[in-house]
Amino acid sequence: MADILVVEDDKDLNAAYKVILQSDKHRVKTAFNGQEALELLKGYTPDLILLDLLMPIMGGLELLEKYDLKSHPKVKVLIFTNMENSPEVTKAYNLGATRCIIKSWTAPQNLSKVVNDTLKAKDNSQLSLN
Amino acid sequence: MASQTRVALAEQRALAEILFDSIGDGAITTDEYGCITRINPIALNILGFSEEEVIGVWLPKLLSAYDDNGRNIPLIERPITRAFVTRQILSQRVRYKRKNGTLVPVSVTVSPIFVKDQPVGCIQIFRDITKEYEIDKMKSDFISLASHQLRTPLSAIKTYSHMLLDGFMGPLTKAQAKSLRTIVSATGRMNETISTLLNISRIESGSIAVDKKPINAAQLMDEIINEHQLAATDKKIKLITQHPDLQLKVLSDGVILKEILGNLVSNAIKYTNPNGQVCFAVKTKNNRVILSVNDTGMGIPKESRDNVFSKFYRGENVIRKETSGTGLGLYLVKGLVSELGGEVWFDSTEGRGSTFYVSLPLFPQTIRTQTVKK
Repeated sequence: MADILVVEDDKDLNAAYKVILQSDKHRVKTAFNGQEALELLKGYTPDLILLDLLMPIMGGLELLEKYDLKSHPKVKVLIFTNMENSPEVTKAYNLGATRCIIKSWTAPQNLSKVVNDTLKAKDNSQLSLN
Repeated sequence: MASQTRVALAEQRALAEILFDSIGDGAITTDEYGCITRINPIALNILGFSEEEVIGVWLPKLLSAYDDNGRNIPLIERPITRAFVTRQILSQRVRYKRKNGTLVPVSVTVSPIFVKDQPVGCIQIFRDITKEYEIDKMKSDFISLASHQLRTPLSAIKTYSHMLLDGFMGPLTKAQAKSLRTIVSATGRMNETISTLLNISRIESGSIAVDKKPINAAQLMDEIINEHQLAATDKKIKLITQHPDLQLKVLSDGVILKEILGNLVSNAIKYTNPNGQVCFAVKTKNNRVILSVNDTGMGIPKESRDNVFSKFYRGENVIRKETSGTGLGLYLVKGLVSELGGEVWFDSTEGRGSTFYVSLPLFPQTIRTQTVKK
């Protein structure tokens, strides 16, 4: 069981990830953009942030810049995006993201597996996890 | 009589000069050493020089050439050198540096001139293709945006279909489950097409991100085979892997390499008849890793071979057998392999099968290990 913060602007996907992760016994909080996530992160430290990159108000990259993962070394960040092979993904890794997966290729059972694998990861790994 | 000949020659020369100056694209002639002997007004206008500044100057010194990634193209790779060496007319897209330091994209064709088999100079014609580049960039940006926007609802369709299948919303009848599996399968196909378009737009706009790391070849191959096992089993095709060295590492971008090899394996399965065989192998040669995908499929007809990696091209024998397909897969493979600094080629016999090869740099650590073993 882990504390997971889902940051996803699409309300349907946000709700689905919450249901899937809760069914796997995780404690889940949700935010719909980076700014909402930053507010939540003032009050608690999750084990993992499931983070979309392209969001209104504040995107995933800006959140990573402001949250500063170096001062939160135990927080894993799983980038969940539809922008594979893009400069944005490389930048997310440079900002400390642990893994990146492609949203539209990932089935729910794989989401749970990837989340659990990422929670166990010791360092960054760019294995493709589609 | 001699005077008349001189007049006639002078007239011919004047006519030739008028013709040269009237060429609608930039035109430069050089002597056999590559020094500029003549330049037309359009070339001067594109490059920003005056005629006095260029006549007699060695062309490569006057005009630096760059590729799309901003790399200064070495002399040996420039069309003027290659045209002299190969004795052929050569065309290339480059960026010339103007007098004011800005770069202008041009499409250049260089024709070497030989008299009695001896090189006497060359003529190069070039055209400013700034507008074509801008249109290409707009097209790529549009595809990139459209692809991303298509994927967002697709993610929701796929996620909720799977949730239904996995029983999150209660039990399903057999018919409902079958219908949902059809939705999931169609979503997968649409995803692949979007992914292909997105990657092509990135390659063409030069914005693909390549992050090279050591990758275990055997592990990557097993991952790819696992993902294609179901499709192979459905067609009763035997999938074989040959990776003699389990520690073999290739220096590459894992996501891109998986896309390349997945594409080749998927093609091999698609164009191989039931009960056939697909063999996915790896070996090393001259500090390179050679990955190959061999199939016992329909093969590539001789007349199609030059076009196999062309955009939207599909072989006649393929179209007859399989009507679906975009003709973008191998074009993408070629582009991605090039982004990784590798090479791709194939052998094929029509009716018997094909083997596609991808060559990439070996991870240096592996080279050292192999040297020690020897």
